[in-house]
Amino acid sequence: MAGQADEFLQGWQALARDSWDAWLRGLQPPAPAGGAADEPLPHMASLKPYLDWLQGMAAGTTHAAPAWPAQGGPFPHASFPGGPAFAVPPPGADPGAAWLAWWQQALAQPAGAAPVAAFGYTREQQLQQQALAAAMAECRETGARYQALLQRAGSQGVARLQAKLADMAAAGQAVDSLKALYDLWVDAAEDAYAEIALTDEFREAYGAMSNAQMKLRRLQRQLVEQCSRELGVPTRGEVDSLGQRLQQVRRELRTVRGDAGTGALAAVRAELDALARRLDALEGRRDMAVKTASRPVAKRAKAPPAARRAAPPAKRPAPRGRK
Amino acid sequence: MSSPLRIDPARALQEMAEFQRRLAAGLPRLRGLSEPGYADTPREAVYREDKLTVWHMLGEREPTAKTPTLIVYALVNTVWMTDLQPDRSLVRNLLAQGEDVYLIDWGYPDGADRWLTLDDYLNGYLDRCVDAVRARHGLDAVNLLGICQGGAFSLCYTAMHPEKVRNLVTMVTPVDFRTPDNMLSHWVQDVDADLFVDTLGNVPAALMNWVYLTLKPVRLLQQKYVAMVDILDKPAELENFLRMERWIFDSPDQAGEAFRQFIKDFYQGNKLVKGTLEIGGRPVDLGMVTQPVLNIYAEQDHLVPPDASRALARHVGSTDYTELPFKGGHIGIYVSGRAQREVAPAIHRWLAQR
Repeated sequence: MAGQADEFLQGWQALARDSWDAWLRGLQPPAPAGGAADEPLPHMASLKPYLDWLQGMAAGTTHAAPAWPAQGGPFPHASFPGGPAFAVPPPGADPGAAWLAWWQQALAQPAGAAPVAAFGYTREQQLQQQALAAAMAECRETGARYQALLQRAGSQGVARLQAKLADMAAAGQAVDSLKALYDLWVDAAEDAYAEIALTDEFREAYGAMSNAQMKLRRLQRQLVEQCSRELGVPTRGEVDSLGQRLQQVRRELRTVRGDAGTGALAAVRAELDALARRLDALEGRRDMAVKTASRPVAKRAKAPPAARRAAPPAKRPAPRGRK
Repeated sequence: MSSPLRIDPARALQEMAEFQRRLAAGLPRLRGLSEPGYADTPREAVYREDKLTVWHMLGEREPTAKTPTLIVYALVNTVWMTDLQPDRSLVRNLLAQGEDVYLIDWGYPDGADRWLTLDDYLNGYLDRCVDAVRARHGLDAVNLLGICQGGAFSLCYTAMHPEKVRNLVTMVTPVDFRTPDNMLSHWVQDVDADLFVDTLGNVPAALMNWVYLTLKPVRLLQQKYVAMVDILDKPAELENFLRMERWIFDSPDQAGEAFRQFIKDFYQGNKLVKGTLEIGGRPVDLGMVTQPVLNIYAEQDHLVPPDASRALARHVGSTDYTELPFKGGHIGIYVSGRAQREVAPAIHRWLAQR
């Protein structure tokens, strides 16, 4: 029974593949007459060697890195790890070619090999390259772990389908169409995937893969930014830094504006109002005292220091109400 | 035990041929189709700041509700799920019930928004949106209707600014982020959020979409499109399908700092239910939410499992707390036929009683 189910599944999957291929072909825009339909992005052609090299790296085999285009070999010792530290490029030579060649070779070292101690004038570049190589290796390793879990989910999906079919057989139920079988497989595959996706193993693999990809991307960005700075091109890091400062200023500005209505400034206003009321009260008592004495005053009574500062020379305005 | 596979070879062949025929006949219909529009319920912008807009949604009749309701959507995807098409629109249904509806369209963050924090979003943008609506109506407080992440935001906002919220409705809102069946939360526990945001800055929408798709990869990346072949010759259904595709994939990037905080404090730290959350230095205590609360969750929600929402009952300070389960999923709660009949009337009834 299981064999029969497998056979149907394989047949159905082959059919689905053919259908999707046909559909995708149908969705392609018609090729222009005489146009290069096989090169949709001709301007990307210059990147092909780089992409080939990345593809070689991604393949992950120990010595799989494809040969880098000949660079003229300005560094005869480039094959020796750390060689660029001693080598001096001849005038007119491309200084980047040497470290690219060394890099290529360093990256092709067996996985897990300890990095060579960095030293010399290019020490920092060596460290960067080693970090990049390590990040690539980590990406490959974590990606492979994740893929293995997906494959396990796929296998368990098929096993679940077989179990479902067995249950149906026991219950006397039947699957009478390819569509019904496909839907049954989808349910089984999703169930198996959900079970694995909620395991600790999957969580760890997912986190490790994400973190490895971010490490690699960050290193790549650092390299690009380094090149950009040398060329005088503004970098994302600089733009981010400006953005961060601008956002901080905006926050501070809003805080200050907010304070004007409800914060520290309002408290100062309230304090002034309170002082003004006290002053009014004090002056009111003094006027009463003057009237009660009923005698001429030759000299204005001395007001308290605060009142002297706050009191206007003539008519006092009404105390300001609190906002 | 005999095999349950009773697939007649002739019928299987016919089935395959029919599928191919539909595929071939349907392909030309996909070419040249215009972008499916949303419902575009009449609206006026009443407040704008940076990239956000507060829209006042206009119904066919004057609202009867005395207190306006402000819809606070998540930062992921767009608020137009609530107004997807004329016959599938939470907004239109609320308006038809007599509610006065506003909604926040957060816009599409770019590099300039990289440093926006949750404090900026909640105590800044959201607070000013609430103030704008309050000022228009001369009210001290308005109703909030928070959706998904926007529901979590609404809870936090209400806890921090209780005097400005009269009633709170949360829909498919995560509260306990560490329930065992929460796959998103499970995956993110070992992700280094600092490394992630320091590297990416804003989090690309395409990456977010991919993560969502991989929650149910076979169903969402394959089965859905196999089923699409069946509707290629049904223009109305095809348009609905493509409209949903537009909404799913027309999503904004996530502002880096806010994303970092949300992952660390909500998903990893689960601080909302632990009572240890602080936003902008202010404590966020769900016990401070004493307003009437209506919590609507979807029983088949794979993004926000029901238990993640129902946890609100144990933590909210309100003595007027109502739960409303909905038979459907995270999206179906807005667009299914059942949702059109049930959700808006239930919200209206609940609000009218308060």
